[in-house]
Amino acid sequence: MKVYYKATYTYKILRILWNTTESLISTLGIIVMHGIEFLKGLKTKPTTFKELMFQCYRFGVTSLPITLSIVGMTSIIVAMQVAGQMVKQGAGNYVGMMVAILMVREEAAIMAGFALISMIGSSMASELATMKVTEQIDAMKVLKVNPVHYLFTPRIIAGTLMMPVVVIISSLIGIAGGAVASNLVSGLTFKAYFDSVWFGLHMHDLKVCIMKSFAFGFVITLISCSWGMQARDGAKGVGRATTKAVVWSFVAIVIVDLIFAAACFY
Amino acid sequence: MGIEVKNLVKTFGERVILDNISFKVDDGKILSIVGFSGSGKSTVLKLISGLIEKDSGDIITTGGDVAMVFQYSALFDSLNVFDNISFALQERKDLRGKYTRKELEKIVAEKLELVGLSGIENKFPSELSGGMQKRVSFARAIVTEPKIILYDEPTAGLDPISSTLIEDYIVRLKNETHAASIVVTHQMSTIRRTADSVLMLYNGHAVFEGSPDELCREETPYTRQFVEAAIDGPMKMK
Repeated sequence: MKVYYKATYTYKILRILWNTTESLISTLGIIVMHGIEFLKGLKTKPTTFKELMFQCYRFGVTSLPITLSIVGMTSIIVAMQVAGQMVKQGAGNYVGMMVAILMVREEAAIMAGFALISMIGSSMASELATMKVTEQIDAMKVLKVNPVHYLFTPRIIAGTLMMPVVVIISSLIGIAGGAVASNLVSGLTFKAYFDSVWFGLHMHDLKVCIMKSFAFGFVITLISCSWGMQARDGAKGVGRATTKAVVWSFVAIVIVDLIFAAACFY
Repeated sequence: MGIEVKNLVKTFGERVILDNISFKVDDGKILSIVGFSGSGKSTVLKLISGLIEKDSGDIITTGGDVAMVFQYSALFDSLNVFDNISFALQERKDLRGKYTRKELEKIVAEKLELVGLSGIENKFPSELSGGMQKRVSFARAIVTEPKIILYDEPTAGLDPISSTLIEDYIVRLKNETHAASIVVTHQMSTIRRTADSVLMLYNGHAVFEGSPDELCREETPYTRQFVEAAIDGPMKMK
């Protein structure tokens, strides 16, 4: 009898693990298939300039106040925490460099990514999910219009193109915020701060930052649209798809970030 | 010829939704598919429109487009009526760029006139009543001059007068387009006013096939129960 219960629990645990792995692989497969379908659709000019501009505005402009606030405040917090100590230790000349490297290599992209996932990715996912559960996507298919081409293309292109713009502006605001905070907290002059920024930052950092931003924009929009497209079962399904889109996008950009860090800085 | 379905089988997992269903609808004729919820009626439409794949059987059509009117209209809520109706003409790969703006406006105006809604091109779906949305979806469905029109519960959720209006438009569209039409419905009034023939499904099987008059006259337990809307009978609600 004892052996029987042990076997049952083991079976249950293995079953859960197997189901989780299976669903993970199947979701990844769907996202990759959607990505391939999107790339195929690029040949057929599936979007209008007006729609593309609207999505660029949505991704790059409407998100900017929140993104800049988050990145700006993060850099101010970092500078407030370390500038005083570094000046006291005689390392004031490195404050600008540290903040700039942190912003350009990591913080601006990842914080902007998180902000954009929460604001734009979730809204894209829920928009497409609502279309799915109200049969608008089925209607599109019956009208012989490929929904992946029509819906994904302007969103993914806009996300991929606008993400670097958002990240570069965020980095600049972050570096400027660090300068103000360092000056107020430790009396570090702006000249000393920006000399340190120029000394520490290299073109390589900027290139990696831009490439990473392209990747983030692509990944966020693809995952959000893909999860939206997989929604089912009414309002509950819309909520579930939106949550999944946000969680998957968060995890995905951290993985992409890790890959870039490993490939470009080590 | 319209559309001919032979030995259609569809299963979801282990559940058999359609088991060897066969029927035929000629051009310019309307077939009503009736039955309880979950009897596989909408699945037939989804299979014919290509939204889902069949397991086996044949769906033979005369060619040309298949249009579908969805239960809750499924209008694109971010587009106005003009863009909704002309959507296929503007976005379909083989039709994109074929029509000028002027031509599109003319086509949309014609289709709107056909469903009695002239002059609402700039309105958005949220500004329309349920019945109007349904008629706009009719106009969207016929914009590519389809040879087959599928209606999924076209009068669901509408008041009796709007339902009658919709039923009249179904007949009108049949006469104008000469398309083979299939109407999935629960309502006897829709069957009486629109159908040339009726197919009743239960548990994935066809339990009656005939004319609307025969449906009312037929003394089989299935047809009696459906016509009289009786709870007791061979068909059990799940």
